[in-house]
Amino acid sequence: MAAVAVATRGTAPPSLSRRLHEWGLALAVVGAAIGFFVGYALGSLAIGDGDNSLGSNAGILLGYSLSAVGFLAGMGFFNYPIARLLGRPVPTADDEAYLHGEGGGLARYFRLTTDHKVIGMQYVVAILAFLFVGGLGAMFIRTELLTPTPTTATAESYLTLVGLHSTLMIFMASAAIIGPFGNYFVPIMIGARNMAFPRLEALTFWLLPPAGLILLSTVFLGGFTTGWTGYAPLADQNVLGMDSYLIAFSLIGLSIMLSGLNMIVTVITLRAPGMRFTRLPIFVWGVFLTSFLGLLAAPALLGAIAMETFDRTYLATLFVPAGGGSPYLWENLFWFFGHPEVYIFILPAFGLIMEMLPVFTRRPLWGYRVAIGGLVGVTVLSFMVWQHHLFVSGLAPALRPFYMFSTEAISVPTGLIYLVALGSLWRARTRFSTPMLFIGAFLFNFLIGGFTGVFLSDVPSDFTLHGGYFVQAHFHYTIMGAEVFALMAGLVYYLPKMTGRTMDTRLTRFQFWAVFLSFNGTFLSLLSVGILGMPRRVISYAQYLQPLNVSATVFAYLLGGSMLLFLGILIWNVVIRPVPAKENPWESLGVEWHLPTPTPVYNFDTVPTKWSLPYEYDTGRVAADVGHPAPALGGATP
Amino acid sequence: MTERRRRYIRMYALVWFVLAVAGDIGLALGPTPPFQASDLASSQSTVIKILAVIAWPVFSAVVATIAFTLFGNRVAPHEGDIDPGKLRGDSRPQIAWISASIVIVLSLAVYGTVALASDQPGAGISTTSASLRQPASPSDPLEVQVIAQQWWFTYRYPTYGGVETPQLVIPVGQKIQFHVTSLDVVHSFWFYALGVKADAVPLNDNVFTVTPTQTGTYRVQCSELCGLWHGNMNADDAMVVSSSDFAAWIQQQQAMDAPILKYLPAYSHTYEPNPPAYGT
Repeated sequence: MAAVAVATRGTAPPSLSRRLHEWGLALAVVGAAIGFFVGYALGSLAIGDGDNSLGSNAGILLGYSLSAVGFLAGMGFFNYPIARLLGRPVPTADDEAYLHGEGGGLARYFRLTTDHKVIGMQYVVAILAFLFVGGLGAMFIRTELLTPTPTTATAESYLTLVGLHSTLMIFMASAAIIGPFGNYFVPIMIGARNMAFPRLEALTFWLLPPAGLILLSTVFLGGFTTGWTGYAPLADQNVLGMDSYLIAFSLIGLSIMLSGLNMIVTVITLRAPGMRFTRLPIFVWGVFLTSFLGLLAAPALLGAIAMETFDRTYLATLFVPAGGGSPYLWENLFWFFGHPEVYIFILPAFGLIMEMLPVFTRRPLWGYRVAIGGLVGVTVLSFMVWQHHLFVSGLAPALRPFYMFSTEAISVPTGLIYLVALGSLWRARTRFSTPMLFIGAFLFNFLIGGFTGVFLSDVPSDFTLHGGYFVQAHFHYTIMGAEVFALMAGLVYYLPKMTGRTMDTRLTRFQFWAVFLSFNGTFLSLLSVGILGMPRRVISYAQYLQPLNVSATVFAYLLGGSMLLFLGILIWNVVIRPVPAKENPWESLGVEWHLPTPTPVYNFDTVPTKWSLPYEYDTGRVAADVGHPAPALGGATP
Repeated sequence: MTERRRRYIRMYALVWFVLAVAGDIGLALGPTPPFQASDLASSQSTVIKILAVIAWPVFSAVVATIAFTLFGNRVAPHEGDIDPGKLRGDSRPQIAWISASIVIVLSLAVYGTVALASDQPGAGISTTSASLRQPASPSDPLEVQVIAQQWWFTYRYPTYGGVETPQLVIPVGQKIQFHVTSLDVVHSFWFYALGVKADAVPLNDNVFTVTPTQTGTYRVQCSELCGLWHGNMNADDAMVVSSSDFAAWIQQQQAMDAPILKYLPAYSHTYEPNPPAYGT
């Protein structure tokens, strides 16, 4: 019966809409180009003469907006809504299966598909692209900072590098864990056959390529000088390059918001029978709570960006004091988004780390409910701390003690997550596998990130440390040292499942020590530079800071090299010379490891109904009975 | 409790104790952050030191646990015969951990608030109208307006007829009240040696009070990204001098500025140059 179905599908000529769908990426490029020129022409028409006066950015703004729309149209995102509007027949199960990538082979990774596993893999590629392009920017920045005065860059190109590095890395970090692993594994872990809104999920991914390219195109428009924080009125002053930042960041904000919405609905409505909230794997909890942050915080950013474009195009002076506006408005809106944003980075990483810990300690996660409490506490408190970014901005001093207290209070739920990690590790006979190394490094690096945060939350010490390299090193410890280490841990851990291939153990272990030591060398140097009085984002600095800057740069080169080594191992072992992985190489009890590899297109033939937490290593019970014979646990494999 | 477990815990406690005590002694006796040229800066560097001394034992406890687990008790990957150890979390360590972290957080917050209140009574009062007053008595703080613009700072002494200079000179041992504002975008006035950092926001008066305690020549710089030449918005010529030197210097400045100052009121408490026309 199945063979007959495949045969008929093979012989029937593909319809026009499927032809167009197969050429989606090419059409998207054409659509983006058309969109840009149409938008640019419309904007220029509206402005009239193309002089340098106010509003002359209307062409660029409309061009970028319509190019994003054209890109999505080419990918095929509007076919479904337009067909519904026109009253065309709803897609058949066969159409849906085609869109899902059934039988699509490798080509489905380059199209709009609604399979969350394909989207997870697409995210892996996009995240690594953002990470390495952004990292290249860091290398240029460190090269320039070898000397106290400008040598390799001009003031303009240096600030553009700073802006590109920071903004690209923020884009990367917003989705580094939730994109690849959240999309791939959350539906499987809750026993769903797909996400709640599969087309929306595809949209959240396909917003990234236009966002990245639009941001990079700023170099043709003169760059922007505001860094990733986009402070007004400096942003009002900037040339057209600023519009790249605004449009790109709003596409990312949209992606964060929609992805949050999708995850929330998926986790609430699509859990398998028997999958109660108290049986959700802790990684799903991390993603679930992060999704609330994304859904609630990103609108503040989108609003602020809309206001900024009004400022720049219509002279709305919302952020310009001379016109009755206030720079504090941008600062508050931006950080109201910006501080939850950093927990959007780290909460899924916490979840992922706690998900992996029991696999290597071979014991149940110690204090599962405590972990949920910690995640919930961080989620709630993260909306109450944003003004600690503004301690020296001149806000009413009466507010300072509150934000100092709420910021310090957030260390209590964060401490709970550490309690769970330490309780799980305590006296465990830990398997010293490669992901476990990265987990240990994650805990160490985030610990430094957290403890340096205490110095910044305390107002008297923040007076000096604010806006300097101490802050810079602090958040690199949390984002690079913790989140990117969690990304590497997750890739080493999950690639055998996602690709059926594995990274070379010895090389990856060597890479681990290289990246761990060079990372700490770089950012311990920069912490010291910050205490000694170096402000952020400067191209020139005081002579006496040079030795530490040289040390940071040398370590940064090693760090860049070891990150490239990771990418090299990954590409070599997964793409060029595939090393086949064992099924369930880490002997996990998680349900995702007990499905066949590659995971079937709709995950489960029959959705399991008996679920337990995937950490019952004392009894060896698999999280759900999926009927797939898995390797026995407890030393059966060499 | 088995003998082996007791030994493990004793060993762990010993390692942690040695780490914590040695580290704390090192932090307490070691160098203090090198900005101590004012009452405020000394208190800030002390705060940093005290925070480090409080944080270190907690930090080393966590690091010791990770290290003990990874290096002290490990087995090779895929080794069988797993000792499940203690399986279910019991509530005593959880309660202890939560109470300890709440106590630490509360004491940090109280300490920070007290330090803040004693350092900066009414610091950073922001008003859109100028809050500079005619000094009532000589013991009142010396007011210095810091006017930031792309990409330098100008200093204005309203009590001396509104003398403006590109160089900051202030007397040692006298309370100085900086009134920080900006003419264009957001800047931040950072006098590292004095522990002063205040954002300069257009049409806003950000007040910061400090008493310099050491004479010398120091660096002032901008610490908020303010555009193209932000990296060069610094000067190494800010001076803290004796009161007599300051009196001589300010008289000299007044003499130099006399042709302009005679058209200005003797004491002017506002500074309102025409804001640069927007969009031109």
